This record gives sequence, C-alpha cells and structure tokens, in this order.
Amino acid sequence: PAIGGPFKLYDTENNVVTESKLRGNWTLMYFGYTSSPDVGPKEVEKIADVVKLLESKYDIKIKPLFITLDPQRDSPAQLKAYLSEFDPRITGLTGSVDAIRQMAQEYRIFFKKVGEVGQDYIVESSHNMYLLDPCLETVRCFGAEYKASDLAEAITTEIQKASNSAAK
Amino acid sequence: GAIMADVLSKGRESCYKARDAFYACVEKHADKKPTEIATMGLLFPADCKKSRAQYVSSCRPSWVRHFDRQHCAKKRVQRLLDGDDDGRGPMSLPQPYTFKQ
Repeated sequence: PAIGGPFKLYDTENNVVTESKLRGNWTLMYFGYTSSPDVGPKEVEKIADVVKLLESKYDIKIKPLFITLDPQRDSPAQLKAYLSEFDPRITGLTGSVDAIRQMAQEYRIFFKKVGEVGQDYIVESSHNMYLLDPCLETVRCFGAEYKASDLAEAITTEIQKASNSAAK
Repeated sequence: GAIMADVLSKGRESCYKARDAFYACVEKHADKKPTEIATMGLLFPADCKKSRAQYVSSCRPSWVRHFDRQHCAKKRVQRLLDGDDDGRGPMSLPQPYTFKQ
C-alpha cells in the first residue's frame, strides 16, 4: 500500500496548505511536536543541517516540512516560534485533531499521548523522516539513526536516480 | 494563542542544564543512601535535594518523568554491562539445602 495521501492543514501564517502545494519539489517530511523533550529538537536540527548541506555541497534545494502530532498545543504561532529558531525555511503545519490524525494515518505514523496530567504530556511516535519526490511519491523513509551527512547523501542519490531515469 | 516559551531554545537549555546538574550530583553521591523519591522509580540521596528542586522548577513535569525514566533505564543497562560482582543484582540461585528432601 502506498504511503501518503491528501491533506488540508494550515501553515504558520495561517494559510491553507494541501498536498498539491508540495508538487514540483522534493519534500523532506517530519512528524513531531514542539514539546518534545529531546528527540524532536535533535531531529529538527538535523533537518536544518541537511537543508544547508544539500544547498552548499550539492546545490540541491528541498522543501523541509514539519507536521505537528500535537495540534492541540502546537498553534501556528507556536510552530513559527519553534521552527524559526532552527531554520526559517522549515514549513510548519498544524490543523484540526481530525485532519492531523488523518494525515498521520495516511503516512503510517503512529502517535500517542503519554503520561497525561492535564495539559502536560509527552507524545510517543515513530521518529521517521520521509522523502517525497515532486509527484508526492514517498521514495525513502529515514529513521533517527541517520546523521545529517548520511541523509544528505541518500537524498542526493535519490534525486540523481530520478533525473537519470527521467532523462532516458 | 499563547506561545509555550519553555520548550523553545532558551527554555530547553535551562532545563537541560538543571537536569544535567542533578544527575551529575546523583552520580557524585552514588555511594550515599538514596532517601529521596524522584519519579519513575528513581531515588536519590539527600545531598541532591537542592539540585533536584532546581531541576524540577526548570523543566516540565512530563519532561522530568521522561528524563528520570531514561536515567533509570540507562543505569539498568550499565549495571548489566558492568556485571554483578558486588551481588547487588538478582538473587543468587537457591542453595541445595534450601529444599527439604
């Protein structure tokens, strides 16, 4: 079964963003939340490093995307404050609980609130990053064990592979 | 709506700093008797009460529980790797005379 599907969310400027907005660009997609104690910040830092590395070393531009698994606490403003500290190029998406749940399901992302005490909780999830091609096909899935340099290399390989087969 | 500033960079750094200071204290006083109760089964000596208070006030309760849990898991693995020379591990097997014939 294919990974992915349609979605309707909001970016940090409160603009509507659907899957069609991703067409035409390679997307690096990560599902996280701003209240992540440790893994989240490291993964977002990695995304920022990968984007910079791809640009400087390989002259490749990809679109980094952060989708929150915690729409109840992660407002557009919260996402903007959080992501801008890493790299302003990272687009943040949030939306209704149902819209987020639907997108997570389409992208096979498990997530669950843990240790809830009122509004204070951790969200357990798989910290996978997806690479989507310009046709919205999920071509790679990267776990947290990938370093930024390895990610950049793998992404470059995929992009080159795609342009090679397109040239045929 | 309101911004949760405590999870932004500055907030995270001050939490990590207080957290690391607390666990360093626990390591430093590993030989002392742990009389205080943290969370997730973690105990610590009275020497670290002050750094614990600082840690708890610098981090969200859910973060404190998360890091306490992580710390306990790490220590468990460390104990397994270091071996059970000092007999603080699992109970030794029952001696032959334990069972009545």
